[in-house]
Amino acid sequence: MKLVLTQKEKIDLNSVLNTDVSHSDGSDLIFIGKVRDTSRGKKVTYIDYEIYNEMAVKELNRIADEASANHETGRIVIIHRYGRVTLGETSILILVSSPHRDSSYQASRYIIDEIKKRVPIWKKEFYEDGSEWISDRS
Amino acid sequence: MRIKIKVFASIRDICGFSEKELIVSDSIRVNEVIDLFIKGNQELSDKKDNLLIAVNEEYCRMDRTLEDGDTLAIFPPVSGG
Repeated sequence: MKLVLTQKEKIDLNSVLNTDVSHSDGSDLIFIGKVRDTSRGKKVTYIDYEIYNEMAVKELNRIADEASANHETGRIVIIHRYGRVTLGETSILILVSSPHRDSSYQASRYIIDEIKKRVPIWKKEFYEDGSEWISDRS
Repeated sequence: MRIKIKVFASIRDICGFSEKELIVSDSIRVNEVIDLFIKGNQELSDKKDNLLIAVNEEYCRMDRTLEDGDTLAIFPPVSGG
């Protein structure tokens, strides 16, 4: 089972955990990415995520399919937010369920690493005294 | 031939638009479109080597030839997560 979503709204973890549960899976591994309060010595107040949604959804689905093809997984859920995400809020949630934990750890790591390389989403950090596109660092 | 251009994030800020339609009479490659936008725009020119390109929502090379109705997206390195 695969579920890929991009959304403006906050992510409801309990609802994700209860979606399409299979008793053949012996592990649920959850990765949560959050907005932290400092970035390179600056105090972050919130992040605006810009997204190229049509392409992002395609790439997220492709990454989930690759993770599923290369690891023994049951359920894969990827939810990425866009728009304004404030301090402490979840910006991304990755849930991987599998019969055994090793597959979940490997698949989850693969998914987040590939998202950071390929999925067209951009962070703009807002500070007390300005803002900056994070991709501008490169 | 009509090509839809979409730009995102810092590239959108520099270009001053998010979407534009380009009408050309002859076939054109991605890098030729990029050169059109870079001409006279030093800030964009400085970022040229780091630009990512997608045609019809798939990453592609700079030498790809565009076809009528294609959507060309130009954007900086991604930073999701």
